[in-house]
Amino acid sequence: MRVSPSLWVAAVVGACVVAGCAPMRVSSHVDRGLDFTRYRTFDWGPADALPAGDPRLERDAFFQDHIQGAIERNMVARGFERAAAATEPDVRVHFHAVIDRRLDVNQVDYQSGYCSRNDCQAGVSDYEEGTLVIDLIDVRTNRLVWRGWAQDSVEGVLDNQDRLARKIEQAVRLMFARLPAAR
Amino acid sequence: MQSSQLSVPLTVVVTASLLLASCAPVRVSSYVGRDLDLRRYHTYAWAPPDTFSTGDPRLDNNTFFIERVQQAVDGHLRRKGFEKVASGQADFVVHYHARVEQRLDSKEFRPGEPGCQGSDCRPFVYDAGTLLIDLVDPRSNQLIWRGWVERGLEGVVDDQTWMDATVDDAVSRIMKRFPS
Repeated sequence: MRVSPSLWVAAVVGACVVAGCAPMRVSSHVDRGLDFTRYRTFDWGPADALPAGDPRLERDAFFQDHIQGAIERNMVARGFERAAAATEPDVRVHFHAVIDRRLDVNQVDYQSGYCSRNDCQAGVSDYEEGTLVIDLIDVRTNRLVWRGWAQDSVEGVLDNQDRLARKIEQAVRLMFARLPAAR
Repeated sequence: MQSSQLSVPLTVVVTASLLLASCAPVRVSSYVGRDLDLRRYHTYAWAPPDTFSTGDPRLDNNTFFIERVQQAVDGHLRRKGFEKVASGQADFVVHYHARVEQRLDSKEFRPGEPGCQGSDCRPFVYDAGTLLIDLVDPRSNQLIWRGWVERGLEGVVDDQTWMDATVDDAVSRIMKRFPS
């Protein structure tokens, strides 16, 4: 069966809407040469001074709780434990979420040869991209020792709690896979 | 903000260096205060880092990035014979600003652009980063020198080693334009 090019385009666009075209991008910066096995306990640090960039996130208790829960589980999995009440932790954790409007050029059409240069529409669209940044600060030196982040399209995610929860889980898990383990 | 003080008569020095690296060119330039006499300046200090966003949440308050920039600038100034001192005693103050913006490049709208053939002509989006270094005379609060570089940053911030190398390269391109 011959599938018409326009049907292919529709299928690809549909898949992009559902799954998000670009994969989640995750990376980190680390204080190289630092021995993370010296750390054991963590606690939450004060909130960041920079705005979240989106009032939907700043006031969303579900979002805040979900991220905190995911971070705590992943910290424990990496060998950290929550500092006992009234004791000073080795590291403080804080996170920061931003929503930005980004442009995207749909290159699928070109790459797959659905159209040639002259008849392709320049498929420029914009979408909302979320960035979640997690910082670990050494309490003794008050220095940033690790920063992880994940960036992904959040189209259709912010107003859907299940999708938001899955995105957060995935983002935090992938970020913490990059964190050197504590003892 | 120093940029608002640009009404001070400034000599625009030629824009140079257009390198075609991965689609987005690296652009370097600088301004020199008209009566700049470098012999008056021997010591410098860092101004506090910007508190506003760079436009890229990965770089905001990122001390790995901030310290890399400062170390690179420190190295160049030291080799040029300047001495870092406590703020308040310095002959000039160093300030840097970093800014990341997404750009849309559509060569299709620029017929005749060299290097654009067939599929190269498709539009693309990329992150453009600008690093700007200002030297300010704290007594007159006037800008004595400004240098900046702009380049594409695709994939750079996500790779710490590449980011460090990019910062070092950007700072040396900027400082190369500093009169010695």
